[in-house]
Amino acid sequence: MSWLELLFGNTLTRLVFFPTVAALPLLFFRRDAVRAIKWYALAVSLVELLFGLVLLATHLRPDGTFAAARDLVGGAAPEWIGRFGIRYQLVMDGIAMPLVVLAVFLLPFVIAGSWRGIETKWKGYAASMLVLTTGTLGALVAWDLFLFYVFWEVMLIPMYLVIGIWGGERRVYAAIKFFLYTMAGSLLMLVAILWLAWTYAETAGAWSFAYEDLMRLDLPLGPQLWLFAAFALAFAVKVPMFPFHTWLPDAHVEAPTGGSVILAGILLKLGTYGFLRFGLPLFPHAAEAAQPLILALALIGILYGALVAWVQVDWKKLVAYSSIAHLGFVMLGLAAFDLVAWEGSLLQMVNHGLSTGALFLLVGMIYDRRHTKQFADFSGLAKPMPWFAFFLVFSTLASVGLPGLNGFVGEFLILAGAYRAVGWWAAAATFGVVLAAVYLLKMLIETLWGPLDREENRSLADLGGREIAILVPLAALMLVIGVAPEPFLKPMRADLGATLETYQERVAAAPAAGATLREAAPAGEGEAGEDEELPRAAEIDDAEDVAVVSAALAPTAPPAAPEAAR
Amino acid sequence: MTGYEIASIAPEIVLSAAGVLILLLEAFAPATRRAFTVLAALATVAAGFAAATMVQGRSFAGLIEQNEITIVFTAVVLISTLLGLLASDGWLRREGLLAGEYHALFLWCAAGLLFMLRATELLTIFVALETLSLALYALAAFHRRVKMGTEAALKYFLVGTFASAFILYGIALLYGETGSTMLPAIGERFAAGGLGPLAAVGVVLVVAGFAFKMSLVPFHAWSPDTYQGAPAPFVGFLSVAPKAASALVLLRMLEAAGGDWGTLVALLSVLSMVAGNLLALVQKDVKRMLAYSGIAHMGYLLVAFATLTPASFDAAAVYLLSYALMNAGAFAVVTVLYERAGEQHLISDLSGWGYRFPWLAAALSISMLSLGGLPPTFGFIGKYVVFLHAVGHGDVWLAVIGVLTSLIGVFYYLRVVYTLYMRPLSHEPAGTLRDAWGGTAAVLAALATLLLGVLPGPILDWVLRSAPGP
Repeated sequence: MSWLELLFGNTLTRLVFFPTVAALPLLFFRRDAVRAIKWYALAVSLVELLFGLVLLATHLRPDGTFAAARDLVGGAAPEWIGRFGIRYQLVMDGIAMPLVVLAVFLLPFVIAGSWRGIETKWKGYAASMLVLTTGTLGALVAWDLFLFYVFWEVMLIPMYLVIGIWGGERRVYAAIKFFLYTMAGSLLMLVAILWLAWTYAETAGAWSFAYEDLMRLDLPLGPQLWLFAAFALAFAVKVPMFPFHTWLPDAHVEAPTGGSVILAGILLKLGTYGFLRFGLPLFPHAAEAAQPLILALALIGILYGALVAWVQVDWKKLVAYSSIAHLGFVMLGLAAFDLVAWEGSLLQMVNHGLSTGALFLLVGMIYDRRHTKQFADFSGLAKPMPWFAFFLVFSTLASVGLPGLNGFVGEFLILAGAYRAVGWWAAAATFGVVLAAVYLLKMLIETLWGPLDREENRSLADLGGREIAILVPLAALMLVIGVAPEPFLKPMRADLGATLETYQERVAAAPAAGATLREAAPAGEGEAGEDEELPRAAEIDDAEDVAVVSAALAPTAPPAAPEAAR
Repeated sequence: MTGYEIASIAPEIVLSAAGVLILLLEAFAPATRRAFTVLAALATVAAGFAAATMVQGRSFAGLIEQNEITIVFTAVVLISTLLGLLASDGWLRREGLLAGEYHALFLWCAAGLLFMLRATELLTIFVALETLSLALYALAAFHRRVKMGTEAALKYFLVGTFASAFILYGIALLYGETGSTMLPAIGERFAAGGLGPLAAVGVVLVVAGFAFKMSLVPFHAWSPDTYQGAPAPFVGFLSVAPKAASALVLLRMLEAAGGDWGTLVALLSVLSMVAGNLLALVQKDVKRMLAYSGIAHMGYLLVAFATLTPASFDAAAVYLLSYALMNAGAFAVVTVLYERAGEQHLISDLSGWGYRFPWLAAALSISMLSLGGLPPTFGFIGKYVVFLHAVGHGDVWLAVIGVLTSLIGVFYYLRVVYTLYMRPLSHEPAGTLRDAWGGTAAVLAALATLLLGVLPGPILDWVLRSAPGP
């Protein structure tokens, strides 16, 4: 692939940067041309979705597994900051793919869902959403830790603006709290990344921030614990896990609908994804040592989130606390170190994005009409708004985990896998499922049924064509995943399995006495799971790329990296 | 004087001569005043070319040395000179102060700075320091009608002369102990060992003197008052160029003194990072806020000095380049946006102006985010290089304090962004805010900050002399 192909071809680069590039023409729209701006942003988001689906289609093999997409120039990831061996390395494997697709899938709904809710400064809103998409997609596919960190931080500013400019009453408080919490965690992660890279450079004799290279670094337990703590803090704030969660309800309550959808749908997943991709595999012994702690915090998150959600009287707050509980399940699955649980966790990340996204969109629709989110202001909505009631019940049931809908599959896999691996932790977490039914059904009862006693509610218009068009695809996908989850699980299985296998292999060995470098994995083991798939991956691309791609993915490190220290 | 010697001071000659020329024009052809800014800017650019084409080596019996590092610091000084001059134009016109002295002093100050950062002999350094300091004192007081300006200059002058006395005393002690004022010779004597305690006292005095110039805690008290009262476009220069040159001298002094000064430096660094950021947090005046943030930034810079290696020079150079762009950019916007120079520059005065002045507000926001060290800006690259140096040389704790205090920094930098975009419009600007040069300087600095943050490769290749790291 040449540079031009990288920019304009069917690549990750195009997928990641198209939204930002497409945001530039927004500068030339007249400020009051709101209609044009809205339609332009929607068109951009649909094109982005198309790009995402095309990329997915070209890398999905006929048997349903997924061939990692990599952006290479001349057979290697292009240099970005050559001095420090920092590469512009974008890889989308089966772990990142579901979340990437989710992100581009939700974007059009976010834009369309903001149609009425956002009344001012559409230009800035559209630009923020598009830049935010670049940040999230970049963080999901960056395989260079420096690059990952840059994208990770780039996400913050647009989200800060979205909450702070278009949010509710206490928007500024919520925006700053969101920013500072997230930043506090990630700054320590930066120090950890620097330490890791420096240690790699010392051990290997050359600079690299590449994920594959750093994965080969075996560290003594002490440093592993510190580094894991720094990474885990950054990710735990983002998830958010129990003691670091207080920013989330504020951010959700104050954010506009679109902001909430993106926040719950994508941004929170970056935290769990970070654990899965970086936190756990990079520091296996530390992760193993921290397993009880993670399990405990996840369990607390599940139960505490559910109990607090139970007593909420504000629609958005309830969904926010339910997010804490749901992501507690995801963390429980990750900390179980079991393939079934991991599959469930990854699927549940997508499920949560869909069902919570739909719930926030629904709350936004009712808020557009009544400008309140308090349960006390509603009851008996099912009568004037049957369509609204239908979709609310549907999304809620998906969230509760009704068999036949997506939430059930994810939670079942997590609990089944976790029970196999960690026993009673999973059994205790099962109470969370019951509690979820309690607080979510309570919400339905309070708002949809009961007497229609308020005059304002009697005349509420039901969902219009635009709103139904937004909700139908989401609901359809929830149903499809619920009925036939296998096509969604299959693409992620191989990469999850390889990651888990590498992890278990490394944990089985005692921690190194000093920093050492493992041999690059030979074919057929560990990460090499990808290598054996290569010929098939190449079939999909042009024939001339075969040699290039397989040369780059050959089990030995790229020429820039030195031979192993041993 | 040989040809090489003349060529080696060509930048200083160009700057000084342009200053004299402007003064003569002021006296004999005052109608040309309107072109002074352009003239001075051109002289700065010419000096830049002269510096860029200079052959490396020593001249004037080794008193002056040009190498890969001095050229980067020269760039820092000239960039902030250029941005400061461009930002000054509109301000001078608005205040009715357009006169040749301003530009002449500015250029002479830059010439003094260039001498100082390339000198390898203590007395030459001192003479250069006095040259530039006198120009700085006069410039700080340039707004004659404003009381705060006089106060600013007086405070700066008193503290500055105090610092000069420190430095001179330190030089005397060092000369007494080592028998030389040449830094390389002093370095050899220190390396040989057997020096009395007075040599160490001398080093501490010189370090303290330059710590005044860099406004490191606890030698920082002058800077908030001076920043508040002095002309805003000049402060953009004052907050960068003299600090950069002083930092280089400080590094040289520490390098010559050898031994273990890490604890002292780390102490200054931590104090500056913590105090600077905490005090900036409570400021309502944007110039005072930037003064305290400048203290904090010098603290970050010192993180790279705690373990002194040749790479410390490189890290400092990268950091100061980024600091020059973002700080000068911030002050350029402040100059344009605050029309009444004599009054306070309250942050709250910017409420809602993000939509009134989209370009200036965007430039200010980028500068703020860069000062906060957020990617993808050059400020992040600067912090990355400095903290990487610390992490790699066993000063992880300094890097941790650095990132935690920069979190405080993010809070008050974001407050500016928040005031611009998230507060209702408080009042319309009184004047028209037409300042082509100032706006240009601000937007250029912001664009450079962003561009170098996205593509830092080439500039790092240029600045970092050797492959960094272990």
